[in-house]
Amino acid sequence: MINSILRFGLIFILLILLQVLLFNNIQFSGYVNPYVYIMFILLLPVEIPSWLLLLLSFTTGLIIDIFSGSPGMHTSATVLAGFVRPYALRIVSPRDGYEPGSDPSMLIYGFRWFFSYALLIVVVHHTTLFYLEVFRFADFFRTIMRVLLSTLFSMTFILLIEFYRRGK
Amino acid sequence: MRNLLNFLARYNNLIIFLILEGIAFYLLTSGNKYHNSRMLNSVRGITHGIEEKINNTRSYLSLHEINEKLAAENVALKNSIGKLVKRDNPVFFSVEDSINKQQYQHTSAEAIQNSINRQKNFFTINKGESQGIKVDMAVLSANGVAGVIVGCTKNYSVAMSLLNLDFKLSARIKSNGYFGSLGWDGRDYRYAVLSEIPQHVLVNVGDTIETTGYSAIFPEGELVGTVSDYEKFGGDFYKITVLLMTDFKKLHFVDVIGNMKKTEQLELEKLYK
Repeated sequence: MINSILRFGLIFILLILLQVLLFNNIQFSGYVNPYVYIMFILLLPVEIPSWLLLLLSFTTGLIIDIFSGSPGMHTSATVLAGFVRPYALRIVSPRDGYEPGSDPSMLIYGFRWFFSYALLIVVVHHTTLFYLEVFRFADFFRTIMRVLLSTLFSMTFILLIEFYRRGK
Repeated sequence: MRNLLNFLARYNNLIIFLILEGIAFYLLTSGNKYHNSRMLNSVRGITHGIEEKINNTRSYLSLHEINEKLAAENVALKNSIGKLVKRDNPVFFSVEDSINKQQYQHTSAEAIQNSINRQKNFFTINKGESQGIKVDMAVLSANGVAGVIVGCTKNYSVAMSLLNLDFKLSARIKSNGYFGSLGWDGRDYRYAVLSEIPQHVLVNVGDTIETTGYSAIFPEGELVGTVSDYEKFGGDFYKITVLLMTDFKKLHFVDVIGNMKKTEQLELEKLYK
Protein backbone atom coordinates (compact mmCIF):
# COMPACT_ATOMS: atom_id res chain seq x y z
CA MET A 1 0.00 0.00 0.00
CA ILE A 2 2.65 2.48 1.16
CA ASN A 3 4.81 1.19 -1.65
CA SER A 4 2.25 1.95 -4.33
CA ILE A 5 1.52 5.40 -2.87
CA LEU A 6 5.22 6.18 -3.13
CA ARG A 7 5.40 4.79 -6.65
CA PHE A 8 2.43 6.78 -7.93
CA GLY A 9 3.64 9.87 -6.08
CA LEU A 10 6.89 9.59 -8.00
CA ILE A 11 5.11 9.05 -11.33
CA PHE A 12 2.88 12.03 -10.53
CA ILE A 13 5.81 14.38 -9.81
CA LEU A 14 7.78 13.14 -12.84
CA LEU A 15 4.86 13.62 -15.24
CA ILE A 16 4.04 17.10 -13.89
CA LEU A 17 7.69 18.14 -14.18
CA LEU A 18 7.89 16.71 -17.72
CA GLN A 19 4.75 18.58 -18.71
CA VAL A 20 5.65 21.92 -17.13
CA LEU A 21 9.34 22.04 -17.90
CA LEU A 22 9.46 20.27 -21.24
CA PHE A 23 6.17 19.78 -23.08
CA ASN A 24 4.67 23.19 -22.27
CA ASN A 25 7.74 24.66 -23.95
CA ILE A 26 7.61 22.56 -27.10
CA GLN A 27 5.54 24.47 -29.58
CA PHE A 28 5.19 22.64 -32.86
CA SER A 29 4.41 25.40 -35.36
CA GLY A 30 2.73 27.37 -32.61
CA TYR A 31 -0.34 25.25 -33.02
CA VAL A 32 0.09 21.94 -31.30
CA ASN A 33 0.88 21.20 -27.70
CA PRO A 34 1.22 17.65 -26.34
CA TYR A 35 -0.35 17.08 -22.93
CA VAL A 36 1.22 13.97 -21.46
CA TYR A 37 0.31 14.62 -17.82
CA ILE A 38 -3.01 12.88 -18.53
CA MET A 39 -0.97 9.68 -18.51
CA PHE A 40 -1.12 9.78 -14.70
CA ILE A 41 -4.87 9.17 -14.89
CA LEU A 42 -4.24 6.32 -17.33
CA LEU A 43 -1.74 4.54 -15.08
CA LEU A 44 -3.67 4.44 -11.78
CA PRO A 45 -4.64 0.90 -10.67
CA VAL A 46 -7.71 -0.68 -12.25
CA GLU A 47 -9.52 -1.10 -8.96
CA ILE A 48 -8.98 2.40 -7.58
CA PRO A 49 -12.18 3.75 -5.93
CA SER A 50 -13.73 6.26 -8.26
CA TRP A 51 -13.98 9.05 -5.67
CA LEU A 52 -10.20 8.86 -5.24
CA LEU A 53 -9.73 8.79 -9.00
CA LEU A 54 -11.84 11.93 -9.36
CA LEU A 55 -10.03 13.72 -6.56
CA LEU A 56 -6.64 12.82 -8.05
CA SER A 57 -7.77 14.04 -11.48
CA PHE A 58 -8.90 17.29 -9.91
CA THR A 59 -5.54 17.76 -8.16
CA THR A 60 -3.55 16.96 -11.29
CA GLY A 61 -5.55 19.39 -13.40
CA LEU A 62 -5.32 22.10 -10.77
CA ILE A 63 -1.54 21.85 -10.51
CA ILE A 64 -1.13 21.98 -14.29
CA ASP A 65 -3.49 24.96 -14.35
CA ILE A 66 -1.43 26.78 -11.76
CA PHE A 67 1.71 26.28 -13.81
CA SER A 68 0.20 27.30 -17.11
CA GLY A 69 -1.84 30.21 -15.72
CA SER A 70 -5.21 29.02 -17.01
CA PRO A 71 -7.49 28.52 -13.99
CA GLY A 72 -10.07 25.79 -14.43
CA MET A 73 -9.28 24.71 -18.00
CA HIS A 74 -7.11 21.68 -17.37
CA THR A 75 -9.03 20.94 -14.18
CA SER A 76 -12.37 20.49 -15.92
CA ALA A 77 -10.85 18.46 -18.76
CA THR A 78 -8.94 16.16 -16.41
CA VAL A 79 -11.91 15.63 -14.06
CA LEU A 80 -14.00 14.62 -17.05
CA ALA A 81 -11.24 12.25 -18.17
CA GLY A 82 -11.20 10.74 -14.67
CA PHE A 83 -14.96 10.34 -14.76
CA VAL A 84 -14.84 8.65 -18.16
CA ARG A 85 -11.97 6.28 -17.27
CA PRO A 86 -14.07 3.48 -15.64
CA TYR A 87 -16.35 3.43 -18.71
CA ALA A 88 -13.34 3.39 -21.03
CA LEU A 89 -11.92 0.45 -19.07
CA ARG A 90 -15.24 -1.36 -19.46
CA ILE A 91 -15.42 -0.69 -23.20
CA VAL A 92 -11.95 -2.01 -23.98
CA SER A 93 -11.92 -4.75 -21.33
CA PRO A 94 -9.99 -7.88 -22.39
CA ARG A 95 -11.96 -11.09 -22.97
CA ASP A 96 -11.19 -12.67 -19.61
CA GLY A 97 -11.54 -9.45 -17.59
CA TYR A 98 -8.95 -7.62 -15.58
CA GLU A 99 -6.64 -9.39 -13.16
CA PRO A 100 -7.43 -8.31 -9.59
CA GLY A 101 -5.02 -5.71 -8.24
CA SER A 102 -3.33 -5.03 -11.57
CA ASP A 103 -2.26 -1.77 -13.21
CA PRO A 104 -3.57 -0.89 -16.65
CA SER A 105 -0.19 -1.20 -18.33
CA MET A 106 1.02 -2.29 -21.73
CA LEU A 107 3.14 -4.97 -20.10
CA ILE A 108 0.11 -6.89 -18.84
CA TYR A 109 -2.58 -6.30 -21.43
CA GLY A 110 -0.59 -5.68 -24.59
CA PHE A 111 -0.03 -2.86 -27.05
CA ARG A 112 -3.39 -2.89 -28.83
CA TRP A 113 -5.33 -2.82 -25.61
CA PHE A 114 -3.27 0.03 -24.16
CA PHE A 115 -3.45 2.01 -27.40
CA SER A 116 -7.24 1.98 -27.62
CA TYR A 117 -7.63 2.64 -23.89
CA ALA A 118 -5.26 5.61 -23.98
CA LEU A 119 -6.74 6.96 -27.20
CA LEU A 120 -10.28 7.03 -25.74
CA ILE A 121 -9.24 9.05 -22.70
CA VAL A 122 -6.81 11.34 -24.52
CA VAL A 123 -9.47 12.22 -27.10
CA VAL A 124 -12.04 13.01 -24.39
CA HIS A 125 -9.50 15.12 -22.50
CA HIS A 126 -8.16 17.03 -25.51
CA THR A 127 -11.59 17.71 -26.98
CA THR A 128 -12.81 19.21 -23.71
CA LEU A 129 -9.59 21.16 -23.24
CA PHE A 130 -9.44 22.77 -26.66
CA TYR A 131 -13.11 23.66 -26.83
CA LEU A 132 -12.94 25.17 -23.35
CA GLU A 133 -9.91 27.14 -24.45
CA VAL A 134 -11.61 28.85 -27.37
CA PHE A 135 -14.99 28.87 -25.62
CA ARG A 136 -16.89 29.35 -28.85
CA PHE A 137 -18.06 27.19 -31.71
CA ALA A 138 -17.22 29.72 -34.39
CA ASP A 139 -13.99 27.99 -35.42
CA PHE A 140 -15.40 24.51 -34.97
CA PHE A 141 -13.37 22.70 -37.63
CA ARG A 142 -10.11 24.43 -36.85
CA THR A 143 -10.46 23.38 -33.23
CA ILE A 144 -11.11 19.81 -34.34
CA MET A 145 -7.90 20.02 -36.32
CA ARG A 146 -6.01 21.16 -33.24
CA VAL A 147 -7.58 18.38 -31.16
CA LEU A 148 -6.53 15.76 -33.71
CA LEU A 149 -2.98 17.03 -34.12
CA SER A 150 -2.41 17.38 -30.40
CA THR A 151 -3.89 13.95 -29.77
CA LEU A 152 -1.45 12.52 -32.29
CA PHE A 153 1.52 14.09 -30.51
CA SER A 154 0.31 13.29 -26.99
CA MET A 155 -0.35 9.66 -27.96
CA THR A 156 3.10 9.36 -29.48
CA PHE A 157 4.77 10.59 -26.30
CA ILE A 158 2.52 8.53 -24.02
CA LEU A 159 3.28 5.36 -25.99
CA LEU A 160 7.00 6.17 -25.97
CA ILE A 161 6.98 6.61 -22.19
CA GLU A 162 4.98 3.41 -21.79
CA PHE A 163 7.44 1.51 -24.00
CA TYR A 164 10.27 2.88 -21.92
CA ARG A 165 8.56 1.71 -18.73
CA ARG A 166 8.10 -1.72 -20.23
CA GLY A 167 11.73 -1.85 -21.23
CA LYS A 168 12.88 -1.36 -17.66
CA MET B 1 -34.38 9.14 4.36
CA ARG B 2 -33.24 5.70 3.37
CA ASN B 3 -34.16 6.43 -0.20
CA LEU B 4 -32.01 9.52 -0.08
CA LEU B 5 -29.07 7.58 1.34
CA ASN B 6 -29.53 4.89 -1.28
CA PHE B 7 -29.61 7.53 -3.93
CA LEU B 8 -26.42 9.13 -2.63
CA ALA B 9 -24.66 5.77 -2.38
CA ARG B 10 -25.68 4.82 -5.86
CA TYR B 11 -24.75 8.00 -7.61
CA ASN B 12 -21.84 9.11 -5.46
CA ASN B 13 -19.47 9.11 -8.43
CA LEU B 14 -21.71 11.32 -10.43
CA ILE B 15 -22.18 13.67 -7.48
CA ILE B 16 -18.47 13.98 -6.76
CA PHE B 17 -17.87 14.46 -10.48
CA LEU B 18 -20.46 17.23 -10.69
CA ILE B 19 -19.11 19.00 -7.61
CA LEU B 20 -15.50 18.93 -8.84
CA GLU B 21 -16.51 19.94 -12.36
CA GLY B 22 -18.55 22.76 -10.82
CA ILE B 23 -15.51 24.05 -8.95
CA ALA B 24 -13.44 23.83 -12.14
CA PHE B 25 -16.03 25.78 -14.12
CA TYR B 26 -16.25 28.37 -11.42
CA LEU B 27 -12.47 28.82 -11.68
CA LEU B 28 -12.70 28.88 -15.45
CA THR B 29 -15.33 31.59 -15.67
CA SER B 30 -14.25 33.79 -12.80
CA GLY B 31 -10.50 33.47 -13.16
CA ASN B 32 -10.04 33.83 -16.88
CA LYS B 33 -11.42 37.28 -17.50
CA TYR B 34 -8.42 39.26 -18.46
CA HIS B 35 -9.45 42.46 -16.73
CA ASN B 36 -10.08 40.54 -13.52
CA SER B 37 -6.71 38.88 -13.50
CA ARG B 38 -6.02 39.31 -9.79
CA MET B 39 -6.52 35.66 -9.07
CA LEU B 40 -4.32 34.76 -12.00
CA ASN B 41 -1.64 37.01 -10.59
CA SER B 42 -1.71 35.73 -7.06
CA VAL B 43 -1.59 32.17 -8.30
CA ARG B 44 1.28 33.00 -10.60
CA GLY B 45 3.24 34.34 -7.66
CA ILE B 46 3.85 30.74 -6.59
CA THR B 47 5.30 29.60 -9.86
CA HIS B 48 7.41 32.63 -10.65
CA GLY B 49 10.53 31.25 -9.03
CA ILE B 50 10.52 28.26 -11.36
CA GLU B 51 9.58 30.28 -14.41
CA GLU B 52 12.39 32.69 -13.73
CA LYS B 53 14.89 29.82 -13.59
CA ILE B 54 13.65 28.44 -16.92
CA ASN B 55 13.86 31.90 -18.38
CA ASN B 56 17.40 32.43 -17.13
CA THR B 57 18.52 29.30 -18.90
CA ARG B 58 16.77 30.33 -22.05
CA SER B 59 18.17 33.84 -22.09
CA TYR B 60 21.64 32.42 -21.57
CA LEU B 61 21.22 30.33 -24.69
CA SER B 62 20.25 33.33 -26.79
CA LEU B 63 22.88 35.73 -25.47
CA HIS B 64 24.62 36.02 -28.79
CA GLU B 65 21.53 37.16 -30.62
CA ILE B 66 20.62 39.63 -27.88
CA ASN B 67 24.11 41.10 -28.00
CA GLU B 68 23.81 41.71 -31.69
CA LYS B 69 20.48 43.41 -31.25
CA LEU B 70 21.79 45.63 -28.46
CA ALA B 71 24.79 46.61 -30.55
CA ALA B 72 22.50 47.60 -33.41
CA GLU B 73 20.33 49.59 -31.06
CA ASN B 74 23.39 51.33 -29.63
CA VAL B 75 24.45 52.39 -33.08
CA ALA B 76 21.03 53.81 -33.79
CA LEU B 77 21.01 55.71 -30.51
CA LYS B 78 24.49 57.10 -31.10
CA ASN B 79 23.41 58.30 -34.49
CA SER B 80 20.43 60.12 -33.08
CA ILE B 81 22.63 61.74 -30.42
CA GLY B 82 24.87 62.92 -33.19
CA LYS B 83 21.95 64.57 -34.92
CA LEU B 84 20.86 66.29 -31.72
CA VAL B 85 24.32 67.68 -30.93
CA LYS B 86 24.63 69.07 -34.43
CA ARG B 87 21.40 70.98 -34.06
CA ASP B 88 22.48 72.67 -30.85
CA ASN B 89 23.25 76.31 -31.40
CA PRO B 90 25.79 77.65 -28.89
CA VAL B 91 24.25 81.11 -28.76
CA PHE B 92 20.53 80.53 -28.80
CA PHE B 93 19.03 77.51 -27.18
CA SER B 94 15.61 76.67 -25.91
CA VAL B 95 15.01 74.99 -22.58
CA GLU B 96 13.00 71.82 -22.96
CA ASP B 97 10.36 71.60 -20.27
CA SER B 98 10.52 67.87 -19.87
CA ILE B 99 7.89 67.59 -17.13
CA ASN B 100 5.08 69.23 -19.03
CA LYS B 101 5.91 67.94 -22.45
CA GLN B 102 6.75 64.36 -21.81
CA GLN B 103 3.73 62.30 -22.68
CA TYR B 104 5.05 58.77 -22.73
CA GLN B 105 7.09 57.13 -20.04
CA HIS B 106 9.27 54.17 -21.03
CA THR B 107 10.35 51.28 -18.84
CA SER B 108 12.38 48.37 -20.12
CA ALA B 109 11.58 44.88 -18.91
CA GLU B 110 12.14 41.22 -19.70
CA ALA B 111 9.43 38.75 -20.59
CA ILE B 112 9.95 35.83 -18.25
CA GLN B 113 7.06 33.68 -19.33
CA ASN B 114 5.39 33.59 -22.70
CA SER B 115 3.15 31.37 -24.77
CA ILE B 116 2.07 31.42 -28.39
CA ASN B 117 0.24 28.15 -28.74
CA ARG B 118 -3.00 28.97 -27.00
CA GLN B 119 -5.96 30.93 -28.28
CA LYS B 120 -5.65 33.42 -25.45
CA ASN B 121 -1.98 34.04 -24.88
CA PHE B 122 -0.49 36.06 -22.05
CA PHE B 123 3.07 36.79 -21.07
CA THR B 124 4.62 37.81 -17.78
CA ILE B 125 7.24 40.53 -17.39
CA ASN B 126 9.65 41.05 -14.51
CA LYS B 127 8.59 44.57 -13.52
CA GLY B 128 5.56 45.55 -11.49
CA GLU B 129 3.89 48.26 -9.47
CA SER B 130 7.03 49.18 -7.59
CA GLN B 131 8.73 49.97 -10.91
CA GLY B 132 5.80 52.12 -11.98
CA ILE B 133 3.97 49.64 -14.19
CA LYS B 134 0.21 50.01 -14.22
CA VAL B 135 -2.70 48.22 -15.85
CA ASP B 136 -3.46 49.32 -19.45
CA MET B 137 0.09 50.31 -20.32
CA ALA B 138 1.36 49.38 -23.76
CA VAL B 139 4.06 46.74 -24.26
CA LEU B 140 6.37 46.98 -27.27
CA SER B 141 9.14 44.71 -28.40
CA ALA B 142 12.19 46.09 -30.16
CA ASN B 143 10.40 45.59 -33.49
CA GLY B 144 6.79 46.51 -32.80
CA VAL B 145 3.63 46.12 -30.79
CA ALA B 146 3.54 43.18 -28.35
CA GLY B 147 0.64 43.56 -25.91
CA VAL B 148 -1.12 45.40 -23.11
CA ILE B 149 -0.62 45.09 -19.35
CA VAL B 150 -3.68 43.54 -17.71
CA GLY B 151 -2.52 42.90 -14.17
CA CYS B 152 0.30 43.87 -11.84
CA THR B 153 1.69 42.66 -8.58
CA LYS B 154 4.54 44.31 -6.73
CA ASN B 155 7.32 43.00 -8.93
CA TYR B 156 5.61 41.29 -11.86
CA SER B 157 3.01 42.12 -14.45
CA VAL B 158 0.94 40.01 -16.77
CA ALA B 159 0.34 41.32 -20.25
CA MET B 160 -2.25 40.21 -22.75
CA SER B 161 -0.31 39.29 -25.85
CA LEU B 162 -1.32 40.50 -29.30
CA LEU B 163 -1.82 36.78 -29.88
CA ASN B 164 -5.04 36.75 -27.87
CA LEU B 165 -8.53 36.55 -29.32
CA ASP B 166 -9.60 39.33 -26.94
CA PHE B 167 -6.90 41.75 -28.09
CA LYS B 168 -8.07 44.59 -30.32
CA LEU B 169 -5.90 47.41 -31.56
CA SER B 170 -6.67 50.50 -33.56
CA ALA B 171 -4.22 50.46 -36.48
CA ARG B 172 -3.85 52.28 -39.78
CA ILE B 173 -2.13 51.97 -43.13
CA LYS B 174 0.84 54.30 -42.97
CA SER B 175 0.80 55.40 -46.60
CA ASN B 176 -2.78 56.69 -46.69
CA GLY B 177 -3.89 56.96 -43.06
CA TYR B 178 -7.05 54.82 -43.25
CA PHE B 179 -7.57 53.08 -39.94
CA GLY B 180 -9.24 49.86 -38.91
CA SER B 181 -9.29 47.34 -36.16
CA LEU B 182 -6.49 44.81 -35.80
CA GLY B 183 -6.86 41.50 -34.01
CA TRP B 184 -5.52 37.97 -34.03
CA ASP B 185 -7.57 35.20 -35.62
CA GLY B 186 -5.96 32.44 -33.59
CA ARG B 187 -4.24 30.73 -36.49
CA ASP B 188 -0.61 31.57 -37.05
CA TYR B 189 1.51 33.40 -34.50
CA ARG B 190 3.15 35.44 -37.25
CA TYR B 191 -0.01 36.93 -38.76
CA ALA B 192 -2.86 39.14 -37.54
CA VAL B 193 -5.92 40.46 -39.35
CA LEU B 194 -6.76 44.10 -40.03
CA SER B 195 -10.43 44.67 -40.76
CA GLU B 196 -12.78 47.61 -41.38
CA ILE B 197 -10.67 49.13 -44.17
CA PRO B 198 -13.14 50.23 -46.88
CA GLN B 199 -12.74 48.76 -50.36
CA HIS B 200 -12.14 52.03 -52.19
CA VAL B 201 -8.84 52.39 -50.36
CA LEU B 202 -5.72 51.42 -52.27
CA VAL B 203 -3.91 48.62 -50.46
CA ASN B 204 -0.61 47.12 -51.57
CA VAL B 205 1.24 44.10 -50.37
CA GLY B 206 4.15 45.36 -48.26
CA ASP B 207 2.40 48.48 -46.93
CA THR B 208 3.36 49.34 -43.37
CA ILE B 209 0.72 49.10 -40.65
CA GLU B 210 1.17 51.31 -37.58
CA THR B 211 -0.80 52.24 -34.46
CA THR B 212 -3.14 55.23 -34.46
CA GLY B 213 -2.91 56.41 -30.87
CA TYR B 214 -6.70 56.76 -30.68
CA SER B 215 -6.97 54.34 -27.78
CA ALA B 216 -4.70 56.37 -25.48
CA ILE B 217 -2.78 53.17 -24.76
CA PHE B 218 -0.33 52.91 -27.65
CA PRO B 219 1.58 55.96 -28.84
CA GLU B 220 0.93 57.05 -32.39
CA GLY B 221 2.99 55.58 -35.21
CA GLU B 222 4.38 52.46 -33.54
CA LEU B 223 5.07 49.70 -36.04
CA VAL B 224 2.73 46.73 -36.10
CA GLY B 225 3.58 44.89 -39.30
CA THR B 226 3.32 44.83 -43.06
CA VAL B 227 0.49 43.81 -45.38
CA SER B 228 1.12 40.30 -46.61
CA ASP B 229 -2.20 39.57 -48.27
CA TYR B 230 -5.65 41.12 -48.68
CA GLU B 231 -9.03 40.00 -49.91
CA LYS B 232 -12.52 41.47 -50.20
CA PHE B 233 -14.61 40.56 -47.22
CA GLY B 234 -18.37 41.08 -47.33
CA GLY B 235 -19.65 44.00 -49.36
CA ASP B 236 -17.70 46.93 -48.07
CA PHE B 237 -14.48 46.01 -46.38
CA TYR B 238 -11.13 44.38 -46.94
CA LYS B 239 -9.77 41.63 -44.79
CA ILE B 240 -6.06 42.35 -44.64
CA THR B 241 -3.56 39.80 -43.37
CA VAL B 242 -0.72 41.52 -41.56
CA LEU B 243 2.71 40.00 -41.11
CA LEU B 244 3.64 41.03 -37.56
CA MET B 245 6.96 42.75 -36.90
CA THR B 246 7.29 41.22 -33.45
CA ASP B 247 8.46 37.63 -33.42
CA PHE B 248 6.49 36.31 -30.48
CA LYS B 249 8.47 33.13 -30.41
CA LYS B 250 11.55 35.14 -29.50
CA LEU B 251 9.91 37.77 -27.31
CA HIS B 252 12.35 38.67 -24.55
CA PHE B 253 13.27 42.31 -24.03
CA VAL B 254 10.24 44.58 -24.06
CA ASP B 255 9.52 48.23 -23.53
CA VAL B 256 6.53 49.21 -21.39
CA ILE B 257 5.02 52.55 -22.33
CA GLY B 258 2.70 54.49 -20.08
CA ASN B 259 0.71 57.45 -21.37
CA MET B 260 0.98 60.14 -18.69
CA LYS B 261 -1.86 62.16 -20.15
CA LYS B 262 -4.23 59.23 -20.54
CA THR B 263 -6.52 60.15 -17.66
CA GLU B 264 -6.87 63.65 -18.99
CA GLN B 265 -7.81 62.40 -22.46
CA LEU B 266 -10.24 59.78 -21.22
CA GLU B 267 -11.99 62.18 -18.84
CA LEU B 268 -12.48 64.69 -21.58
CA GLU B 269 -13.79 62.01 -23.96
CA LYS B 270 -16.19 60.73 -21.31
CA LEU B 271 -17.93 64.12 -21.23
CA TYR B 272 -19.03 63.76 -24.86
CA LYS B 273 -20.08 60.14 -24.92
